[in-house]
Amino acid sequence: MVQAGSKKTQVPKLSSKTGISSLIIFVVLLLAWIVGFSSRLFAVIRFESIIHEFDPWFNYRATAYMVKHGFYNFLNWFDERAWYPLGRIVGGTVYPGLMLTSGSIHYFLHLLHINVHIRDICVFLAPVFSGLTAISTYFLTKELWSAGAGLFAACFIAIVPGYISRSVAGSYDNEGIAIFALQFTYFLWIKSVKTGSVFWAITAALSYFYMVSAWGGYVFIINLIPLHVFVLLLMGRFSNRLFTSYTTFYIIGLICSMQIPFVGFQPIRTSEHMAASGVFVLLFAVGALKYLQSMLSKSEFKSVVIYGGLIAAALVFLTVVLLTYAGYIAPWSGRFYSLWDTGYAKIHIPIIASVSEHQPTTWFSFFFDLHILAATFPAGLWYCIKNVNDERVFVILYSISAVYFAGVMVRLMLTLTPVVCILSGIAFSGLLELFLREDDNVRPEEQEDEDQNTPNKRQLYDKAGAGGRLPKIKHDQSKESDGIGQNIRSIVTIVIMLLLMLFAVHCTWVTGNAYSSPSIVLASYGSDGSRQILDDFREAYFWLSQNTADDARVMSWWDYGYQIAGMANRTTLVDNNTWNNSHIALVGKAMSSNETAAYDIMTALDVDYVLVIFGGVIGYSGDDINKFLWMVRIAEGEHPKDIRESDYFTEHGEFRVDAEGSPTLLNSLMYKLSYYRFGELKLDYRTPAGYDRTRNAVIGNKDFSLTYLEEAYTTEHWLVRVYKVKKPDEFNRPRIPVANRVIKSPNFISKKSNKRKKGTIKNKPVVVKGKRLSKNQ
Amino acid sequence: MWKSILLLLCITYVHGAEKVNKQIINKNVERSIDLTSQLVKISSVITIENAGKESVQNYLIVVESPVNGNLSIITVKDALKEDVKFKPAEIEGRKDLTAYNVILKQPLDSGRATVITVETIFTKSLVPHPTSILQKEKQLVRYFGNAYLYSPYNTKKQTTNVALSSRSIENYTKLKPSSQSDSTITYGPFQDIQSYSNEEIVVHYENNAPFLTVSRLERNIEISHWGNIAIEENIEIHHTGAKLKGPFSRYDYQRDSGSAHSIKSYRTILPAAAHSIYYRDSNGNISTSNVKTRNEWTELELKPRFPLFGGWQSSYTLGYSVPSYQYLYKNKLGEYVLNMRLIDHVFDDMHVEELETSIVLPVGVSNIRVKTPYETKRLDDGVTYKYLDSIGRTIIKLRKNNLVEQHIQDFEIKYEWKFTLLFHEPLLLTLAMFVLFVFAIIYVRLDFSLKKTEHQKKE
Repeated sequence: MVQAGSKKTQVPKLSSKTGISSLIIFVVLLLAWIVGFSSRLFAVIRFESIIHEFDPWFNYRATAYMVKHGFYNFLNWFDERAWYPLGRIVGGTVYPGLMLTSGSIHYFLHLLHINVHIRDICVFLAPVFSGLTAISTYFLTKELWSAGAGLFAACFIAIVPGYISRSVAGSYDNEGIAIFALQFTYFLWIKSVKTGSVFWAITAALSYFYMVSAWGGYVFIINLIPLHVFVLLLMGRFSNRLFTSYTTFYIIGLICSMQIPFVGFQPIRTSEHMAASGVFVLLFAVGALKYLQSMLSKSEFKSVVIYGGLIAAALVFLTVVLLTYAGYIAPWSGRFYSLWDTGYAKIHIPIIASVSEHQPTTWFSFFFDLHILAATFPAGLWYCIKNVNDERVFVILYSISAVYFAGVMVRLMLTLTPVVCILSGIAFSGLLELFLREDDNVRPEEQEDEDQNTPNKRQLYDKAGAGGRLPKIKHDQSKESDGIGQNIRSIVTIVIMLLLMLFAVHCTWVTGNAYSSPSIVLASYGSDGSRQILDDFREAYFWLSQNTADDARVMSWWDYGYQIAGMANRTTLVDNNTWNNSHIALVGKAMSSNETAAYDIMTALDVDYVLVIFGGVIGYSGDDINKFLWMVRIAEGEHPKDIRESDYFTEHGEFRVDAEGSPTLLNSLMYKLSYYRFGELKLDYRTPAGYDRTRNAVIGNKDFSLTYLEEAYTTEHWLVRVYKVKKPDEFNRPRIPVANRVIKSPNFISKKSNKRKKGTIKNKPVVVKGKRLSKNQ
Repeated sequence: MWKSILLLLCITYVHGAEKVNKQIINKNVERSIDLTSQLVKISSVITIENAGKESVQNYLIVVESPVNGNLSIITVKDALKEDVKFKPAEIEGRKDLTAYNVILKQPLDSGRATVITVETIFTKSLVPHPTSILQKEKQLVRYFGNAYLYSPYNTKKQTTNVALSSRSIENYTKLKPSSQSDSTITYGPFQDIQSYSNEEIVVHYENNAPFLTVSRLERNIEISHWGNIAIEENIEIHHTGAKLKGPFSRYDYQRDSGSAHSIKSYRTILPAAAHSIYYRDSNGNISTSNVKTRNEWTELELKPRFPLFGGWQSSYTLGYSVPSYQYLYKNKLGEYVLNMRLIDHVFDDMHVEELETSIVLPVGVSNIRVKTPYETKRLDDGVTYKYLDSIGRTIIKLRKNNLVEQHIQDFEIKYEWKFTLLFHEPLLLTLAMFVLFVFAIIYVRLDFSLKKTEHQKKE
């Protein structure tokens, strides 16, 4: 029955009917776009149009560079301000899709003399693309199921927190455009599998090319599509359509993806991409067998299949193994391993494990990011399994693999979200089809309309969820006239509506509260509800940009590298592009050593300023002391002789900053830079001086001075502290040129030895015979 | 207009070598040197006497080198506080001097006397000594000046008052007679001083007034005949007082011990009608500012992102809009006349090293004439394209160095402009939309027919 429903959409109706339904589709998608766009603007309204967090600052800087210097100069850009003294070849180490997208929008607008600053384009790029994602999700779901389910899915993806978390205004990151590219590629792939046309396969490959240029997550596509083909083969669903679309897609996609400098020869040389070529070969083998099948008799064919298959499989396997062994194909990368073994990163690559978004996902965040969809998408999956066909196999595989990856890493929640929206769209569409259906024979077309109508109204609920109450009674009353099971029908409908409404409310709440903080501007609320802006990050970065030498080198933990480069325009030692572990470990070692040892490292690295984040005054938990153990761990990985994690714990294995903390910690550079002169500061009358609000402890090492560094700047709330590394003549006695040096003469005689060797009494009264003793002589 | 001014200047330079009329004597001179801010404001009340036979109309004012390089502005007023005209001149045989020829309103008859007030403002004349100080130390500056009025004429009697910003004076040149009371030093009265005499005085005192210099000010004025004038100022400021030596301690700064020489905030006065004010820098909005609306003006309390210590600098962008009816009107000849300030207030006792004012005129103006209140350098006109412009807009660019508050004066631009040009862009937009919709209509029709054929094929 459901199958029939989905088929029906393809059958054109009377022209007026088509007009209305396409108008509804158009309106719903437009509303989804608008709602998706505006719900991502919380940060802009509450704060300002600003680039958020860490990575977006690099993307913004790169985009600004590209706009200023042109695309080819961007590709050849050697950034000497990063990774001092190594530098970074930016053009060859970025996915340029994001910069190209906003750069071309900027170019186009300026062609029309619409003088929009590139920053505003960058800020609003992700919200705009969320609308495109919604539309491509609609098309994908429409191909998989029905237009009604598509509208549901489009509305879901427009507001679902799992996607909003990566695409709020200002979150200018690859994911913002990559999810669109992902969904669009999948849509075109499904379309090409369905039609078997070379045209659709080529468009799929081009869309894949865009995805490759935009995000490293393209590996997901290039493994999922072959998996789809492989499973279809296993299911005996080989067809010429499949053969045409996959071979076209693979070849064009492969060639295109190799055009991206950062990807280069990886698609033919790394294990991550081998599945695609394996399936490519396999497809040819199956195609050949099918051909043979038509030529040979059954028994002959059987033996050919068995021997031929075995030999071919062994050959392919051996080739891959040999090539890997010979070094032509790179083995799995560390990041990839950590997808299969969740404990891998923690042991071998602490730098990956240190990033919070690489942690395994908790159940809480599934609900938080997906809400009701987490519960309904299995129903959609079940529908798909029950009514399986070529393209639904794809969505089944997509959901299963995405669920697995989302469970491994919080970050990969992002790839799960679209498929959850699709499947939930299918589930809700199926449910409503069941419960909103009139008598089939009476009004078969009405149902179709109803189906599309519901998301439309639901869309209004989204807005109501943000704003006020909703007009839902009218909708239910139209259903009253039915006879059989109308109570159940209306109850179920109301429940579904309520659920959807709650979903919209939840999405708005999550977006507003959890995902809309720029993180470089903090806001705190006073007891009277007044809002106070803590702008310490920009204060410090702007100070750096204005009052330090242009070529000054700033050492900080790698989290702040992109921000320093982007906002302060100063040279950094390490940044968020964590490609060189040993360099990061060196910085970590400097931070965890004592001042003298750190000074040696800092002079070796030509450091002029050290920047630390300290949240003890305002209770900011993401500061450097809380990240300190990761610095120690990363440093220990490279310098196990000098740094030992156990030294930084107390005897009871605790990490404490108070008087009971380990002396190594209390004398480390990071500790001293964070707490320099903090011991004198009394925050309020109830707490003693030197009370750290973040760790709720009075610091253990209060009274110390710095020998090799001096405080250069501390922001208003002490959040960012910048220290200047002294030159040797500044902490030693000033250097005197040899000619001017005066050497003390060796024949120095003390007064005591000059005269008598006896001691004398000062102010000894002089006694003269015949005179009185006077006190004052 | 400016060309003719230049021409005039050239003529005066060629022919303007003036002879000093020895008949004139300065009967009485009362000078007051105001050293309370970062500027040196010298005001001299001069009683001129004509001791000769013939009546005279010209009086020469000279500024000695090298301080004439720091001269920012000079104004001359008569006894009724009305402006007296003067023009640059050159004194025979003394080309190193900056001289001005004051043209008295009425010729001064033999034996008569008149009073004029000459005000001069010098920048960069207070030198921090020591040049670098610690955070908790006081900022001391030295003033090098002349105890006498530097004049080509003989002076009978004169006194000089030096007003300082604080009572703590390290030392000062003790001439006879001189006295100090509170924060004022009085030199004189002196009798019978020869022309061109120079008696150097040095005053070394504490001055915690903000030593803030605008090293560059770009003022962009954009005129829209829809009724709005948008003004944007890109400002680079620099603390030119004693440089901060050693560390900056936030702890000491918060306890407020010392560091009076740092600049936390300052006030900028905007026109009363200013609205849509923004205050930002390259990293975005600066959230520490306050707007207070007064009757006559709008007061903006600006706080830089960080307190400014000696040698530190900062930069920001301040923008606002004003309604155009207050500044733009149509005169009887049908020309548009724009009267706006060439430079506006940045902070009290400001010193602007370099000013560049760009005025973006509307699309399609012609016959532009610029009149400036004082001599400025006019740069080549530029062309810019604003939102949806297909015809460029002319930019008038004016430049001037070394400005102070007294330079806040209006310029005047006259131009001709056709009213119909106002509808140029809306029409363009309408047309573009129309074309878009036509294409959409055609596309939808095409799409529709394609579906139909597909449908027919299937059946």
